Amino acid sequence: MSELNFEYGLLLPEFILVGAAAAVLMLDAFREDLRISRNLLPAITVLGALIAGVASLLFLDRDPTDFAQLIAVDDYTTFFRILFIATLIAIVLGSYEFVNRNITHQGEFYALLLASTIGAIYMAAARELLTAYISIELLSFSLYVGVSLAKTDTRSGEAGLKYVLLGGVASAMLLYGLSIIYGTTGATTYDGIAAALEDGVVGTPAFLLGLAFLVGGLGFKASAVPFHMWTPDAYEGAPLPITAYISATSKAATFALMLALFGIALDAAKADWQWMLASLAVATMVVGNLIAIQQSNIKRLLAYSSIGQVGFMLMAITTVSDASGSALLLHLAGYLITNLAVFIAVIAFYNRTGSEEIEDFRGLAETQPYLALVITTALFSLSGMPLLAGFVTKFVLFQAAAEEGFLWLATVAVIMSTVSLYYYLKVIRQMYVAEPADGDSRWRLSPIAYLTTGVLFLGIFLVGLWATPIFEAADGASAMLFG
Amino acid sequence: MESLGIIVAFYLLSAIAVGGAIGVFLASDLIRALAFLVLSFVATAGLFLTLSGDFIAIAQILIYAGAIPVLIVFAVMLAPLAGRNNGNGLYLVPGLALGAAVAVTVAFVAVDVEWNELSGALLAERDFATTANAIGNALVGRYVLAFEIASVLLLAALIGAIVLVREDEAT
Repeated sequence: MSELNFEYGLLLPEFILVGAAAAVLMLDAFREDLRISRNLLPAITVLGALIAGVASLLFLDRDPTDFAQLIAVDDYTTFFRILFIATLIAIVLGSYEFVNRNITHQGEFYALLLASTIGAIYMAAARELLTAYISIELLSFSLYVGVSLAKTDTRSGEAGLKYVLLGGVASAMLLYGLSIIYGTTGATTYDGIAAALEDGVVGTPAFLLGLAFLVGGLGFKASAVPFHMWTPDAYEGAPLPITAYISATSKAATFALMLALFGIALDAAKADWQWMLASLAVATMVVGNLIAIQQSNIKRLLAYSSIGQVGFMLMAITTVSDASGSALLLHLAGYLITNLAVFIAVIAFYNRTGSEEIEDFRGLAETQPYLALVITTALFSLSGMPLLAGFVTKFVLFQAAAEEGFLWLATVAVIMSTVSLYYYLKVIRQMYVAEPADGDSRWRLSPIAYLTTGVLFLGIFLVGLWATPIFEAADGASAMLFG
Repeated sequence: MESLGIIVAFYLLSAIAVGGAIGVFLASDLIRALAFLVLSFVATAGLFLTLSGDFIAIAQILIYAGAIPVLIVFAVMLAPLAGRNNGNGLYLVPGLALGAAVAVTVAFVAVDVEWNELSGALLAERDFATTANAIGNALVGRYVLAFEIASVLLLAALIGAIVLVREDEAT
């Protein structure tokens, strides 16, 4: 074996995030003695994330390297470091009012968000099965706790319990699959597995069994149908910022991991897993989008809509190639921006009204036209309207799938995108057509809410109209896997 | 697996492990189910020993057969309102069917596949007295990053457990 590289400097951004988490925890514990304001905690979180973001930029365009062959530090990792850190900042800024009012344990809330971001980053960076698995667990554990953090709401506890039990089963499945794959290939590094697959492990019953467990476990984490049962309950019960975080970072991290795992390690066994993922993708697109139509709670609606979106992303993993890899990264970036815009707008709405029902959005265009505009734009973008981020990213994604010989899959995706427009329009109709409830007058947003939703709002248009920079970044990152 | 003794031990321990697991399922009292669980764990530890995994066998006994059942006993005893009933619910038949399907598939694969086995001279070549050394070296050597991520994971789990269990004073 060649000499292993133990350069700890490669882990700098994550060290900063851990440091920020420790600082937040400690300051929160001694808050009353030190007489510091509560707003210092989100400020430190954002500051730490910003410094970590700058530190990750240091690794941009350098020669690809790795840490002890466990994680890769290249443009792919940098892409996801920036993406996840930006998501963290957006969520903390967008939700600190919500947290001040509804969460008793704020220091822990921010510390868990920071810790889970580290898990997400290493899921994308992992090039070895054990490291990948332990990173998944870091992200999941933080979210199990996060989901149950609204301790006054009984739905939160129920959601946390369901999530942790089903998550445990899924982790066991995943581990079982990983151990069988290790047993058949004799390697845990992605490169080692790829080399072993060349020697004819492909298609043996044991390998297939391992793959089936692996796909099942990862399918649960990504909430693909039929492993999606936890999603609506966890989304509904969790405090809104955690819901936003699950739908953004947790999803994107799972797909970053799947792209690297299936693209590098299991590429030679395509014939063995392509049909598994293709059938998951179809089931996920159809079930997610059809059930979303019946929902009356905005969080459950967004849960099923995000399941539908997972179907589109699974399509990119199914057809894994350089083109669909960069298309997936572009789609993830666009999806994250759009989804965060919806969620932060919904958080601002909840701060004012305390409601999550779609019918309570009636007349929002009268009482808060700016927020109605943001939600409308983001929902249109999710369904894939031209000019907006969703159109460009979906177009590239579907095209990549069609070119790889999965035209039928892309056709289903286009049909289901149209279906999704129906339930997004239901929300939009409430805001623009229905009259506001009696006694509702105009209300104002806080400056921070204006700032975060404004930036994301512009981002949706930016990706929609001028996607070149992000597309180039995604292309360069994906080239690290398939180059 | 060469000698007869190992083969007999393997099948005996397997039978105890599976029997214990079935006992967990059938026992109607939670504490009795727990006793069967411990039995199953101990037998599994024995299985590790037959595979020369001495460190894992000891860890299995200390953690799974020792610490975790104690925690479960505490949890059962301290929760006054919770029932001790280990009865089976609505999903008994579909659950059994699914379990049987998985068991048959795994058994088929286990029998069907020619596993890479180290035996005889090949095994003797490796020549190790204990695995604790190798595991320790791998953990803080090659896999140090996974080890460190695990420490952050444990911190998060610890914080989570404290936050969720603590009773909030009225604010």
